Amino acid sequence: MSMGTDNKIIAFCCEKSAYLAADRAGRMRLYYPDNVRIIRVPCAGRVDALHMLRAFEKGAAGVLVMGCQEGACQHLTGNLRAKERVRYTASLLEEVGMDGARVKMVNLGPDMAQKFVRVVKDMAEKIKER
Amino acid sequence: MGIFLCDCGGSLKNIDFPKISGDLEKLEDVAFIDISHSLCLEEGEKAITSRILSENINRVVIAACSAELREHKFVRLLEELRFNPSLLSLANIREQCSWTCEGDVTEKATELIRMAIGKARLLQPVERKNVPVNREVLVLGGGFAGMKSALELSRLGIRTTIVERKSTLGGKLKEVEGFYGLETSLKQMLDSMITAIEKDNNIEVLTSAEVTRVRGEVGDFDITIGGGRREFSLSFGAIIFATGYRTEILPQDFELKPGGNIISQLDLVEMLRAPEKLKRRPETIGFVLDVCDENSRLPTLSSLNNVLAVREKLGSEVYVFCKNLKVDSEGAEELYREARNRGVVFLKFDEPPQIYREDGRVTIKAKDVLLGEEVVLLCDLLVAEERALPPEGTKGLSSMLNIGTDSQGFYQDENVHLYPAASARKGVLFVGGCRGNLDLGRALTDIASAVMGSYSLLALGEAVVEVEKVRVDPEKCRACLTCIRACPHGAIQLLRVNTEKEVAQISDLACDGCGVCAAVCPAKAINFEGYSDEQILAEVETIGG
Repeated sequence: MSMGTDNKIIAFCCEKSAYLAADRAGRMRLYYPDNVRIIRVPCAGRVDALHMLRAFEKGAAGVLVMGCQEGACQHLTGNLRAKERVRYTASLLEEVGMDGARVKMVNLGPDMAQKFVRVVKDMAEKIKER
Repeated sequence: MGIFLCDCGGSLKNIDFPKISGDLEKLEDVAFIDISHSLCLEEGEKAITSRILSENINRVVIAACSAELREHKFVRLLEELRFNPSLLSLANIREQCSWTCEGDVTEKATELIRMAIGKARLLQPVERKNVPVNREVLVLGGGFAGMKSALELSRLGIRTTIVERKSTLGGKLKEVEGFYGLETSLKQMLDSMITAIEKDNNIEVLTSAEVTRVRGEVGDFDITIGGGRREFSLSFGAIIFATGYRTEILPQDFELKPGGNIISQLDLVEMLRAPEKLKRRPETIGFVLDVCDENSRLPTLSSLNNVLAVREKLGSEVYVFCKNLKVDSEGAEELYREARNRGVVFLKFDEPPQIYREDGRVTIKAKDVLLGEEVVLLCDLLVAEERALPPEGTKGLSSMLNIGTDSQGFYQDENVHLYPAASARKGVLFVGGCRGNLDLGRALTDIASAVMGSYSLLALGEAVVEVEKVRVDPEKCRACLTCIRACPHGAIQLLRVNTEKEVAQISDLACDGCGVCAAVCPAKAINFEGYSDEQILAEVETIGG
C-alpha cells in the first residue's frame, strides 16, 4: 500500500451508472487498489479534456472516464461525447510523449460492479508497468 | 465550514476517525468536526440540526455512506433548517473507501474528505423557487391512445386539447373488424369513448388539424396549429404524442404487387363489413405472416382477429402461413387457440413461401417444417403481411421538436433512463403505436405512465426549479450556438439582449442537469454550479497533496 502522489488513478464517474457501480462494488466487498479517487459527475459528457489533463498535470498516473453503456445515456449522447474527448486527450498525451492508454473511456451500467473493479485493476496494473 | 463524520455505528473499523479529525482541525476554515455513529438515524439528524443552528457556518461537508442512499435526506434536512442545500458537499467514505479494502484506509478517507472540502469552499448558493407552468396538455392524435390519455387526464382535472389530422376521432380502431377476446365490441368501445369526450368539458377536439410549429419548452410550449385555412397558436404545459402508426404492404417484401386477389388487411375488413356486395364468396383465403418482419406483433394480432372474422362472416377455409407467430400480446394466445378450434390451419415455414398468380387464383408454395413436406395451396384470396410503419409527418414533428427516432423511424428509442413514455425533452411524452410495435395492452401501460408523468409535472400549476444552476455568462457568450446544438434536452435558446447582441439562455425548468453544455462551450461561458470547472478541478487538485 503505497500512498504517493504519483500512482493515483482518477476516475470521473457518471452518477447514474459508474458511481453506482462503484458503490455496489463496495457493498459486495470487491476489493480493489486503494489508489483510485472517484470524482462524481452528473454525466460523462460533463468531463472536459481540461479536467483530464489537469489530473495528469497534478501527477495522476491514470485517468478513467466512466459513463453509461452506449445507447443508454439519459442525456442521449453524453457518453459518446466523453468517448470522443478521451480519444482527443489520449492523442494529446501521445503528442507530449506519454502513453495514450493512461486515459481510458469505460462504459458500464449501474449494476456492473465486477466490471468496475476489473477496469480499475487493469489500469492499476498498466501504470505499474512503467 | 462544518464537518460531520459518520462511522456507521462504529463499523468502519479500518478508518481512524480521531486521526482524521486531528488532521482536518488544522485547516483554517473548519469551524468544527463532529464524529457521529449514525447520521442517518433520528439522533444523527438531531445532532446536525443543533450544530447547524448553534454555529455560524456557511458550508457543510458530510463524510458518510453513498450519496445514492442519503443525499436526498440530508438535502431535505438542510432545507428544513433554511440552510441552502447546494452548499453541501459529500464524501463517500463507506462504499467507496472503507468497504473496498481490508487494510487501513485512513489516508484515503482523509483525502476523500479533503476533496469534498476543496469543492465545498467553492460552492455557491443556488436559490430554489416556484415557477408557473401551464396546466393544459396537448394530445396529438385522436386514436385509442390519444382519446384514452385525454379522458384519463380529464379525470384528474387536467384540460386537454386533442389534435387529430383526420376529420373524425377513432384512428386505427375504425380499421379493425371485430375484436375477439374483448367483452364489448370494438364499435361500442369506440362510440362510448367518443361520446365521453364530447360530453367532457375538459377536452377540446380539433379535427382536420395539424401542428405546424412548436416553440418554447416544458411548462410553456407555444404550438401553432394549422388546418384548412385557419392557423392559430395555443399554449400548453406538456405534449403527449399518440400519433399511432400506419400499415403498408411494402413492394420489396413481396415479389407480386398487391391488387386483384392479393389484398391488405384493410381491404379484407372492407369486404367483411359488406359481405353481400361480394360477387362470389371466396372459398379459400390464405394469410402470410412473418415474411418481412418476424417481430410482427401488430400484424399478427390484426391477422388473428381477421381470421376469426372471416370464419364467422364468410365461412371460408383459412390457411395461415407463418414462422414464429408472435403471440406475446395479452389474449393473443387465446385468439390463436380459438382460430385453430374453428378450423383455421396454421402452416409453419422456415424459408419464405413462393407466391404465384395463376388463372385468377393465387398459389402459395412453402415447405412446412412440422410436416416436413412441401405444401401447395391454391387460394382465391391472399391477405398479405403488412408492416407497421411510423405515421406520415413523424420526421417533420421530430425535427420540429429536436427529438430523435429509432432505426425504424418510430419515436422513442428504448433508453433505460427514459423508458417507456418520457423523452429527452421534459414535458414531451410518447404513448402507443407511435413508439413502435405496441398493442392495446401495452399502450394502456404507456398511457398510465404518460398521464402520471404530465400530471406530476403540471398539476400544481407551478414547478420548483433551481434558479440559474446552469448559467450562461452573457459577457463571455459569443452566441456560437454550440451549446444549443449540443443540449440533448432542447433546454437552451437564443435570447436577444439588444439590437446587437444575442446570448444563449438556459431554461431552468427544461434543464436536466447533465453539464454537456458546460463542457462543449468554447468560450467557457457556462457555469454549472455544483459541477463547475473550478469545483471539479478543486477535487482533482486536492488528490495527492
